[in-house]
Amino acid sequence: MQTDTILTVQNVGKTFPTRGGAVEALRDVSFSVTRNELCVLLGPSGCGKSTLLNIVAGLEAPSTGHLSLEGQPIHGPARERGMVFQSYTSFPWLTVLQNVEYGMKLNGVPKGERRERALHYIELVHLGKFRDAYPKTLSGGMKQRVAIARTLANAPEILLMDEPYGALDAETRWHMQEMLLEIVRTTHTTILLVTHDIQEAIFLADRIVFLSAHPGQLKTILDLGFKTGRQIRSKEELVQLEGYPECEREIMRLMRGEASPDDTIH
Amino acid sequence: MTQVVQDSPLARPGPARRTRRIFEFKSDIPASWRIALGVLVWVLFFGLWQLAVWSGWMTEILLPGPGKVLGALYTLFAENGFLGDVAISVGRVMLSFALACAVAVPLGILMGSFRVVEAFFSPFVSAWRYLPAPSFIPLLLMWFGAGDAQKLALLFIGVIWFLITLIADHTKSVPQDLIRTSVTLGGSRWQVLRTVIVPAALPNIVVAMRQMLAVSWTYLVIAEITAADAGIGAMMMRAKRFLHVDQIMAGILVIGALGLLFDFLLRALHRAAFQYLEDYS
Repeated sequence: MQTDTILTVQNVGKTFPTRGGAVEALRDVSFSVTRNELCVLLGPSGCGKSTLLNIVAGLEAPSTGHLSLEGQPIHGPARERGMVFQSYTSFPWLTVLQNVEYGMKLNGVPKGERRERALHYIELVHLGKFRDAYPKTLSGGMKQRVAIARTLANAPEILLMDEPYGALDAETRWHMQEMLLEIVRTTHTTILLVTHDIQEAIFLADRIVFLSAHPGQLKTILDLGFKTGRQIRSKEELVQLEGYPECEREIMRLMRGEASPDDTIH
Repeated sequence: MTQVVQDSPLARPGPARRTRRIFEFKSDIPASWRIALGVLVWVLFFGLWQLAVWSGWMTEILLPGPGKVLGALYTLFAENGFLGDVAISVGRVMLSFALACAVAVPLGILMGSFRVVEAFFSPFVSAWRYLPAPSFIPLLLMWFGAGDAQKLALLFIGVIWFLITLIADHTKSVPQDLIRTSVTLGGSRWQVLRTVIVPAALPNIVVAMRQMLAVSWTYLVIAEITAADAGIGAMMMRAKRFLHVDQIMAGILVIGALGLLFDFLLRALHRAAFQYLEDYS
């Protein structure tokens, strides 16, 4: 199989200086993300997954190791690595359309093309009726859809998502997860997503990069073989799938730190 | 079940329950009540004032009634050219405040955005905040004389330090994720400042301006009472010399009315300019 690596994370470590001495958040983490794949970073709290995502985004610098996107070393944030945050980041003073156009405006995309692309992505996240609305009139889920459309319209090489549905209620979260899969299938976007929600990870991921805590280290990479060749569209389909309960149990065990490295799925 | 509810203090009938609800913490009252109560307090104030005059507690020269003060107000505007004084005072407040904003807005935004700028200016600005502006009057009089420059300088000193601090604080509280969003969309430092930090902080900056404009009026009176040949305060000091207490009170009334007017205007501006905000209060 031809693997087309887009993001490489090599021996990345991160140490934060604090008053009580240095705290090691990440140690020697290496993995890569393949083009068009949805890769999930999963792990118990304190495993440094959000820190790792921030390092990939260029918002923080690694203490050791290095990262590259399409062979180019990562230094600081850039358009190629667009990020969607857990908190609502729609700019309240801009309408939905202006929000989605925002990134393209920063990057000097001409007005006509900007408008066209923005409208396309607004349709993609089903917000067509709200293009001229201000964020204050939108629900939390709709605000996250604005953020996703805004980042995608900016044509990143990879979309980084930091617990994007963490603040949403369960039902909205399902819809958002299903919509994300739909978007991935139509746009072939490469995504690196952080979550602590096991079901979300299994539902969305092509591959799960599992980190253990204190310090954050790569524990294992799960390939989710039971999903291959299946087009899962809803949560119901997922939980009925053969192999799902075993997979979930396996990850739960990893979360508790009970599993030994050899009985994990490679 | 029903029995229990009826016996409980919650089921107490009629008026008792109503008073209870009115004095519920933070609970809302009908709009008509709010207006009526707001009018009532003024009616009481003017009533007591008039009563004090009628009781002969003080001579009418020292304590003229509300009617007399309104009369004086009319005379001042109609015959004594008081409008010119008001215009001069308003002009002083506007000009000094505009100068203060011209310094405080950019400096406050830079201090709130960049730690280096904050580390440099903050100790200086904080120290000046605790120096009462009126204590500079003797100095200002010697440097600038009794003219407009002295008054503008006092008003400027009176608001600038607090204005800078407030604007810096509001800028600092712009959510980090908004900034990070822009940066990961490819925003340069200047673009983030212009397209995220400024628009995100602006509504609160206007609130800070409104608050400090009210303070500016306070210093105006101090400046004009100390030494001035024109302006509302100057008129009041002239009136004092001739024992025109009614005119002094009319002056106070005008200052209050102007303060309210500007507060109202800035509120209206805020509401009109920032309609997109979640909750305007």
